[in-house]
Amino acid sequence: MGKISHENTGGVQISMEDIIFYFELHQPFRIRPLRMQDKISPEDIFWEEKNMEIFRRISEDAYIPATKTFMESGIHSTFSLSGTFIEQALKYNPKTIDVIDDYVRSGLCELMGETYFHSLASVWNEDEFIEQVNDQRKLIRDTFNYVPESFRNTELIYNNRIAEIARDLGFKNIIAEGTDNIIKNYNPDYRYLAPSGINLYLRNYAMSDNISFRFSNDQWSGYPLTAEKFIKWAKESPGDIMNLFMDYETFGEHQKKESGIFEFIKYLPGYIEEYGLKTMNIREISAHHRSMGTVSIDKTTSWADAGRDLSAWLGNSMQQEAFDRLKSCNNFDKRKIWRYMQTSDLIYYMSMGNPEDFSVHQYFNPYRSPYLAFIYYMFALDILCNK
Amino acid sequence: MKVAVIGWELPPAFSGGLGIHTYNLFSIVGKIIPVDIYLPDMGYSFPPYPFNVRTVKIKSGIAGNVYSHVTNFIDAVNDYNEKVVENFRPEGVSLVHCHDWITFRAGIEIKKRYKIPLVVTFHSTEYDRSAYFNPQEPIMKVEAEGASEADAVITVSNLTKDVVSKNYHINPDKITTVYNGVKAFPYTSGIPFSKERQVLYFGRITSQKGPKFFMEMARKALEYENNISFVMAGTGDLLDEMKAYAYNYNIQDKFYFPGFVDFQKAIEYYKKSSVFVIPSVSEPFGITVLESMVSGTPVVMSRTTGVGEALNNALKADFWDTDVMSSYVVSILNHKSLMDTLSIYGKYEGMSFTWEKSAMKTLEVYRSVWRI
Repeated sequence: MGKISHENTGGVQISMEDIIFYFELHQPFRIRPLRMQDKISPEDIFWEEKNMEIFRRISEDAYIPATKTFMESGIHSTFSLSGTFIEQALKYNPKTIDVIDDYVRSGLCELMGETYFHSLASVWNEDEFIEQVNDQRKLIRDTFNYVPESFRNTELIYNNRIAEIARDLGFKNIIAEGTDNIIKNYNPDYRYLAPSGINLYLRNYAMSDNISFRFSNDQWSGYPLTAEKFIKWAKESPGDIMNLFMDYETFGEHQKKESGIFEFIKYLPGYIEEYGLKTMNIREISAHHRSMGTVSIDKTTSWADAGRDLSAWLGNSMQQEAFDRLKSCNNFDKRKIWRYMQTSDLIYYMSMGNPEDFSVHQYFNPYRSPYLAFIYYMFALDILCNK
Repeated sequence: MKVAVIGWELPPAFSGGLGIHTYNLFSIVGKIIPVDIYLPDMGYSFPPYPFNVRTVKIKSGIAGNVYSHVTNFIDAVNDYNEKVVENFRPEGVSLVHCHDWITFRAGIEIKKRYKIPLVVTFHSTEYDRSAYFNPQEPIMKVEAEGASEADAVITVSNLTKDVVSKNYHINPDKITTVYNGVKAFPYTSGIPFSKERQVLYFGRITSQKGPKFFMEMARKALEYENNISFVMAGTGDLLDEMKAYAYNYNIQDKFYFPGFVDFQKAIEYYKKSSVFVIPSVSEPFGITVLESMVSGTPVVMSRTTGVGEALNNALKADFWDTDVMSSYVVSILNHKSLMDTLSIYGKYEGMSFTWEKSAMKTLEVYRSVWRI
């Protein structure tokens, strides 16, 4: 449906057709608060109790009920599971994997490729990046018997070169942030191509944030956000596809059960149908929607912070010192631990942010202080690299 | 409408913390509403201030300072309070504002006699001054009475608010926290000193301030990094004990005890040091924390130092946890990025504590109780 109307309106599509849900499922292995007096082995630098507590809580509040709700509602969506997420799920709450597996087997859920360690490897070491992508691909195959066709890099860190590597690794689709700078010229609600030819999908951050950030904000003019209101907005957006990409913790953790977020999901299918829309996986888009041309993104973008660049990870001197030290601290006997240390969250915790992102950083920081994040990380590297 | 402040000291007569506070706060409040400040007559004359100074004659000179625990000090306090009541000039006064237990008795009597609201400020409590070791009953009694009779209570931190509320059974809704300010200019101007691998203690060397924990922290830091020096500036009854500690652990070469340090020298120490450590057992506010921050020197502080509750850019530990404190100190010394970030963000944060803000908040408290 709808294809004819494109031509009738002279190329200006006024009727949205498909809703694309993509979710990030990731948990880092956080480092425990360390003192210089601690004499522990590199295996023990991770905050086992905290990591377990957080995973168990979020899986029960969000991952499991959200996945069941999406599946029972017959909604298509695409999951990006980091290797560290899958490891934690298997270790702390294996039921999470069973529920996701059911969703995948139902045919509704697509799985994507990313780096195993949700790392920043793409910005400094291509070989390391490729190895980590292959590691995640292998883990997805072993766990879900699934071969991903779509790729997303850590926190949507993206540039032409990353897209090119993804294409070389056999991926057909990649996603990136629709930053203000990009969407000035390219409506994010269409399919595009990267210069390397891989399909490129841009996140519609305004519509995504309506759910992930604003859903329960009673100061917001759109409050309360009902399924009907949201689908109506989507329908009225000019474009072919509505790219709603967000953290999966949105459903039950950032937006609590009491906010009505699960009811919101349950009511979606009825209105999606009523407004003549569908939900679709990322891998299916190219067969149904035309490309609106090639978009070249040279400068690295991401979905993090107001800057939508790398500043959330490499924006201050502590992060740079820590990152440089990490790069030079390759203990080859403990390669896996060194890679856990690459998980971007650990460096994100050191961000001073800016005033508008401060509360977001506080929320995600298990130590509530960028200074402590730095101190513990450096002590952990001391232990790992035998200072 | 007018505010009568029962004070104790004012520069140039004494220059203790209370005097400096009185001067800074009421120099601003006094420009907005008329203020009378009562003080014991010590024979000093005062320059023109934006408030009236009313001195009252007392029987004898006051030997100790505010924090002394000598009997004749308590007598002198009683004498001063009685004289303030005798000499009080109520014309146009809408509110009486007392500062610490040494002025509470006069405030309570004036409130009763002239039926005007009473505000009391706790700059510290007897619990803090004694570090919870053998606090003096008569003083606690005065503090409890003052807090209970007052229409509004001001504390210099939520930490002190809790002490007053819990120990003197005061409804927390009656208590407002008004943070102190800092005049940053002397610390941000003048000669720049390059930082040395030096760690600073600056304050009275008494059990309240936890100097022993500073020594222990230093000893532990030196186990990991030999190239650090420590300055313990100030005087107090535990100074000799601290020197003995340094000798006993054979770290005396790493230590310098300059004794009493004047204002200019203090600024130099702040600027030259790489870390300022305040391990106070019970510190209602901790003005030295802000002085260090505005000087651009990172702070490692005890959680029982009040101003810490309002700071993001200082490192906090339990006062007894010298493992953690030494870890923080060594981290700051060894990682330039950590030192620089704490220094820059700390400086801005410290400078946000202004006496203007303290004065405005104080006026809000006045407005909440006075009957017009």
